[in-house]
Amino acid sequence: MPAKWNPELEFKPSRELSIGVELELQILNSRDYNLARDAGDLLALLERTPHPGAVKPEITESMIEVNTSVHMKFATLRAELLEIRDAVSKAAAQLNLRIAGGGSHPFHKWSDRRIYPTERFKHLLSVYGYLAKQFTVFGQHIHVGVPDGDTAIHLAHALSRYIPHFIALSASSPFQQGTDTDFQSSRLNTVSAFPLSGTLPLVHTWSEFVAYFEKMQRFGIVESMKDFYWDTRPKPEFGTVEIRVLDTPLTVERAAQLAAYAQTLAHYLLTQQPLPTSDDVYLVYKYNRFQACRYGVGGAYIDAQTQQRGTLQRDILDTLELLRPYARTLDTEAPLSALRAEAEASKSDAAWLREAYQKLGSLNDVARRQSEQWMGSPLNA
Amino acid sequence: MTEVQFLPQFPLTANPLALFGGMLLSGALTGELVRRVLNLPRITGYVLIGLTLGASGLDVLDARMLGYTRVFLDIGLGLVLFELGRRINFAWLLRDRWLAAMSLAESMLSFACMFGALRWLDVEPLYAAIAAAIGVSSSPAIVLLVARELRAEGQVTERALNLVAINSVVAFVLTTMLLSWIHREYQAGWFVILLHPLYILAGSCFIGLAASWLALKLAGWLGKRIELHAALLLGIVVLLVGAGEALKLSILLSLLTFGVLIGNMDREHKLMPVDVGRFSQIFFVVLFVASGALLHIGDLVAGGAVAAVYIAARFVGKSIGVLCFAHLSGIRAGSGGLLSIALLPMSGIALAIAQSTGTSYPGFSAKLSVIVLAATLILELIGPLAVQFALRRAGEAREE
Repeated sequence: MPAKWNPELEFKPSRELSIGVELELQILNSRDYNLARDAGDLLALLERTPHPGAVKPEITESMIEVNTSVHMKFATLRAELLEIRDAVSKAAAQLNLRIAGGGSHPFHKWSDRRIYPTERFKHLLSVYGYLAKQFTVFGQHIHVGVPDGDTAIHLAHALSRYIPHFIALSASSPFQQGTDTDFQSSRLNTVSAFPLSGTLPLVHTWSEFVAYFEKMQRFGIVESMKDFYWDTRPKPEFGTVEIRVLDTPLTVERAAQLAAYAQTLAHYLLTQQPLPTSDDVYLVYKYNRFQACRYGVGGAYIDAQTQQRGTLQRDILDTLELLRPYARTLDTEAPLSALRAEAEASKSDAAWLREAYQKLGSLNDVARRQSEQWMGSPLNA
Repeated sequence: MTEVQFLPQFPLTANPLALFGGMLLSGALTGELVRRVLNLPRITGYVLIGLTLGASGLDVLDARMLGYTRVFLDIGLGLVLFELGRRINFAWLLRDRWLAAMSLAESMLSFACMFGALRWLDVEPLYAAIAAAIGVSSSPAIVLLVARELRAEGQVTERALNLVAINSVVAFVLTTMLLSWIHREYQAGWFVILLHPLYILAGSCFIGLAASWLALKLAGWLGKRIELHAALLLGIVVLLVGAGEALKLSILLSLLTFGVLIGNMDREHKLMPVDVGRFSQIFFVVLFVASGALLHIGDLVAGGAVAAVYIAARFVGKSIGVLCFAHLSGIRAGSGGLLSIALLPMSGIALAIAQSTGTSYPGFSAKLSVIVLAATLILELIGPLAVQFALRRAGEAREE
């Protein structure tokens, strides 16, 4: 049976190095700071409040997703994120809710979650069973614009070497279900349970990718691009490459900085074309990824090209050094130097959350601090 | 000389513990039966078995027997009010002023509607006013328990609980103020007219405040240990119930004050979010069995027609108050209507108030009872259903 012509696979070109961000956010109650179930009311209220970007439902009623529009500059992206944050925070406060960043809620029980009632989410529940509810974890996705499908495939492969960077720099899910996981980002373990998670197959051009996709479609394994939960995936509809491994950081400032890092890195990779797409990257990929999830910047890192073993911290700092000239052209020096300072000091959102737990003595307080950190001033207004 | 002194003497005297156990057991079983067979809230079952065993039925649970269980009922009521108080968040009312406006509007409008309706039926102004004041409050116990039973969570649930807490306070303040009017009616001195309400209001708030201060100090010292905080809160709740009784203050107001202030005074977040409800469930069952036993079907005959008008006026007043502000206050279309329905149950506290005025002025109480008790009877039975309907319809109940 020939595959149907799929308009979804038509790659819509976009401006090279444009960026956009999606953030999945936690909705908490203000009583014990457990996850609430008010996504419906919050979305309805935001629908009648003017705000930039877009706000959408996510798989369970305890989550919402916010999207920025497309930006060329870090400064405007950051400004829009702050505006969205203020609008969402204000609406949440009116409903006596709290909004928090962070890749996981520290103590909610997944079995308490309820699927947001749309056809797609109900379908996911019927396919994935309890995994659908466990999927109440919160990620940041960064879109980087590319002019065509071939560039998208090339960039997606080239970025795979740097995936551990994004994991470590955004890690903010040390607690799950009331327990310290010993991981910096435990969220990705939840994603890994899905059969269609993993990485883009080693195709080299857009037409090879389309052939791969159609084969998977004929097998009946996938229906749409949305069915792939890959770490990095091309998004033909937007004309972007989407990096999906990041935990939602505790603040929108950090989310904007990470987007600036992705933009600058893409600029370097597309200008210099320093790496031929090779199998070797994928040989060490899972090892490096695990190290980043488990230890953050303190993890080990194997460079597939040089076959050197070092620390992830070193590799991040070296990369940031390498990116200096590109940061100058894109005006991303400030966010990159903020990331550099954090990496040098081995600080992370995950460490911040553990410190909060040490100091305050209960995970309810951790969740509360998490929401205060994200909502910022609107909460006090 | 009797050789068998070790044997109990017949007839057996009523034993409060056996009575408590019996009420708990019969309540729990009937509640479950009603839920399984009729898919009604368990609370309806508690009230029904109370009604069956009480004055209107087999008359096993008469006033004397219920007197023995008084202490448990007070604890139950204390826990309900404390838990309700903890849900009130001043910061929220400041942020969403429309919610605050809604709560005042529904309290005032329902008072006005009930008063107007009763006056229209030629009820004397004083009785009309007191009956209207009692009707302002929605039942905290019914709304809280149905919400717990359904494990409901969401805007309708939270707002209903906040509105209930506020209208309970408004009702209480109104009735207490009207008390001075009763005093005048019965030719009490000015001293009593002024000081009695003042003593109750100020005294109850003060012991609630003192209890909150104490609880926060002790919580800080205990550190973040949930089981210790549970013991702390339960201990203070029971202590406060006892103190309120001993000092002739209002249990309602002091426990509500305690619940409200402990959350709102806790700026450093010393207190852990203890789920007191887990411990209180058994008291709640007995509370509703008892409130069922107190109801008299006979009241329906005597006051049914007036009660129907009174209930209708109350519902109209509350609905208008809620619906006027529903949209402004940020909830979804349709939620306002459900919120009005959730406020329907009337408080068993109405009974307590009717009776406490009764102890001071028996003649007055009899006149009031005809109006209020029939309405309470109807709403104790319909109320839980209304709340269940509203919360389920709002999609806030958790599927079983």
